Amino acid sequence: MGGLSVKHIRGWSLTLALIALFILIVLPLLQIFIQSVYVDGTFQWAAPFRTLAASQFAGVLFNSIWLGICVIAGTTVLALPLAWIMSNTRLAHWRWLDVVLLIPFMTPPYIGSMGWILFMQKNGYMEQLLPDMHFLTASFFSLGGMVMIMSLHLFPFLYLLLRGALVRIGGSLEEAGAVMGGGFLYRFRRIILPLLLSAYGMGALLIFVKTIAEFGTPATFGRRIGYEVMTSEIHKYISSWPIDFGKATSMASVLLTACLLMWYVQSVINRKFTYRLIGGKGSRPSRLRVSSWTTALSVMFILLLLIAAIGIPYFSIIAASSMKLRGIGLAWNNLTLDYYKELLSWGSESMEALLNSVFLSLGASTLAVVLGTWFALVIGGSRTKIQRTVDAFSLLPNTVPGIVMVVGLILWWNSPWMPIPLYNTYGMVILTYVILFVPYTVQYVKSAFTQVDTGLFHAGQVFGGRPSYIFRRIVLPLIGPGMLAGWMMTFTIASRELVGSLLILPPSVQTSATYIFAQFEQGQVSLGMAMAVISVGLTTLLLILMESLNSRRKWK
Amino acid sequence: MMNRRVFRTGWKKGAMLALTLTFGLAVAGCGTATTSKDGAQADGSAGQAGAASTDQKLVVYSAGPDGLAKKLIAGYEAQSGVKVELFQGTTGKILARMEAEKTNPVADVVVLASLPSVQGLKKEGLTLPYPDAKNADKLNPDWSDKEGHYFSTSASALGIAFNTKLVKTPPTSWADLAKPEYKDQVNIPDPSLSGSALDFMTGYLSAKGDGGWTLFERYKANGVAMAGANQEALDPVITGAKGVVVAAVDYMTYKAKAKGEPIDIVYPTEGTVISPRPAAILKSTQHEQNAKAFIDYLLSDEAQKLVADASLLPGRTDIKADKRANLDEIPLLKTNWEWMGEHGSDVTEKFTQMFK
Repeated sequence: MGGLSVKHIRGWSLTLALIALFILIVLPLLQIFIQSVYVDGTFQWAAPFRTLAASQFAGVLFNSIWLGICVIAGTTVLALPLAWIMSNTRLAHWRWLDVVLLIPFMTPPYIGSMGWILFMQKNGYMEQLLPDMHFLTASFFSLGGMVMIMSLHLFPFLYLLLRGALVRIGGSLEEAGAVMGGGFLYRFRRIILPLLLSAYGMGALLIFVKTIAEFGTPATFGRRIGYEVMTSEIHKYISSWPIDFGKATSMASVLLTACLLMWYVQSVINRKFTYRLIGGKGSRPSRLRVSSWTTALSVMFILLLLIAAIGIPYFSIIAASSMKLRGIGLAWNNLTLDYYKELLSWGSESMEALLNSVFLSLGASTLAVVLGTWFALVIGGSRTKIQRTVDAFSLLPNTVPGIVMVVGLILWWNSPWMPIPLYNTYGMVILTYVILFVPYTVQYVKSAFTQVDTGLFHAGQVFGGRPSYIFRRIVLPLIGPGMLAGWMMTFTIASRELVGSLLILPPSVQTSATYIFAQFEQGQVSLGMAMAVISVGLTTLLLILMESLNSRRKWK
Repeated sequence: MMNRRVFRTGWKKGAMLALTLTFGLAVAGCGTATTSKDGAQADGSAGQAGAASTDQKLVVYSAGPDGLAKKLIAGYEAQSGVKVELFQGTTGKILARMEAEKTNPVADVVVLASLPSVQGLKKEGLTLPYPDAKNADKLNPDWSDKEGHYFSTSASALGIAFNTKLVKTPPTSWADLAKPEYKDQVNIPDPSLSGSALDFMTGYLSAKGDGGWTLFERYKANGVAMAGANQEALDPVITGAKGVVVAAVDYMTYKAKAKGEPIDIVYPTEGTVISPRPAAILKSTQHEQNAKAFIDYLLSDEAQKLVADASLLPGRTDIKADKRANLDEIPLLKTNWEWMGEHGSDVTEKFTQMFK
């Protein structure tokens, strides 16, 4: 095989990736921009600017950005110690924690917020259990409370990325530092921090973008404390009469610009601080003199984290799902399992919604991993312009609020001239999920891949491995964990996706998330909460199954 | 150096071939799956062009309540043999979906929970008039279109819902809620999310003139909180976090009360606003005959009985509800729907600014 044909195929793959991204993501978004400059059928280039000038836009934008920054801080405080604990102490053996820590993330944000609200509000569960704690209520219903709720929801993201990076750094580098006489702080500052920075940058960016694009918590909690953000403003224009996509998209473009700016900063950091860490010399986890005190503190930390991230919201959710009358509150004679019986009866509407969710997200996550890995490999070290473009395009869905992306997809796939009648089919739903969540796989695989030293591939080649063999035996195992993380993330989020599903599901079709939402709209809070418990439980079970299969494979 | 390139690209080529292939297969897979659907659709439209009687499909977008919408659909399906696809959402969600589908509409009939929205649809020329609808003459004429563009087949009244454990003597007038005993106790639904709350505000203002704003100013001063759509405003009152919802949709309250929750509703003596729930056929309909038959069904005795059973006000004046207050028992403000439709967005804007 000559160098030319290899180059040829590489270029071909890159071009194809670019075309695919262009059709799947860029064109639908362009439709939105076109809408924002066409007012009543005429072209008015200044329309978006007028919108921005007319609304109380600066304040709302500031609110969004400030929230994003606060949540980055919040998630860092939670995820960084956790990642350190899970890569440097004996607790790293607690593999089940990885799945458990996905639970906050599997919980639809508006359900998690509702759990907190039900717990903390006046006459809420906390007051019913501990009447003396009612003074906390006022301080909880504030921006601080909102940041806490969102951080507790989003930190698993950052944690997975950071732990991955820490594990790859391994013990030897740090031990080398220790041998040379570096103290803990020195080692942290000069070895771990620089090596961690690219993963952290990526994670922080994702958190920021997730936060300012999040709709559930601002809609439930933010509205309650009067904290308006961009997404709630966009949602207003997109869901109440008179509908104004122009205004919504003008705002979305600003949001998009803010996110792209962040992305640029992150990619600069990334380029500066990327090191080849996996060099084939074998690394082992670092287990540096962790005292029993540290272990005890770590256990405490994890315990508190689990109580805050899972214990409290799920106490509320489960309590609300098993109450005969919500007006009576916590009382043993108010307990019922009827809602669960109603939900799980075979052939019921809720059962159908549940199955829909599972199959749609299985399909979507699998397709997203394949596509995302392809994009990540094509992007490589994002050295050329085209590679960087592919990188930017594949990240777009994560930088646009979900609702805007979804409207773009509807405009695009339901155009009268669209030859593929995907709209109003299950295919459309899967495609939407794939597009919305493909950035996760791209990020995870990229993060794993950029730290693999090319020397490994050369070694494989020296020993006579064919490209397909090298891919299968060297690349795949090394990026495998990234792919798995991407798959798990996509499956998790897709199974609870709400905003897109509300708009894109074919008539007469429901998923568990839209079912829950509908129950809340209909005043059947208990039924909705029961569905939340069941769908999160089911997702957790599936992930545990995956994990155990995966770790058994490792044993062999 | 050259060698290195080949090594690097060599394995990459393999990887990319594999992934490209998978992607190609996936796309091809989608393609075949959708072509078969396409075929089915083509068959459907061909049949429809041939003879209207073989057209067995109808797409309905309906605002809640969920149970009622499903019962109505089931009733119509049983009667006509037509298969109905139902999209269920709030008025806002339905409008957003219609807007996104503007160039290629899917829905045949919409049932909304807000009269101004459907008036807007009519003004934009999106509705298909059906002046010959059966029983249309028995509908409350104030709520429906004279030319048959829309028919309000049900309605809700707005009142003051309160937690019976927290509020022992119920308020009797809208102004009562500005009193100190209700400080920080009252929720009001967000008019940008709740069409019926907006109906209350515009209705009240159209009856009282600009002086009507004083009521809302006093509400704001008394700590009234704007709290999401109707159910979101009601839920904290059921659980006891708040005491009262002003401009509460009555059927939701009746439903919770029937379950046994500690909640009740009153209609203030100075009068309230009715929020009609109109149904309209869209001009873009692919299934005109079915759509018309569906409207006829919504106006039939059977469907109106289902409406009354769901604790809503029937749209027909000759059908009485036994689970709730009937129209003649509810004191009404002198509202002006024309004014209400025109000023909806201004009022929303001003109100949400005030209560932010």
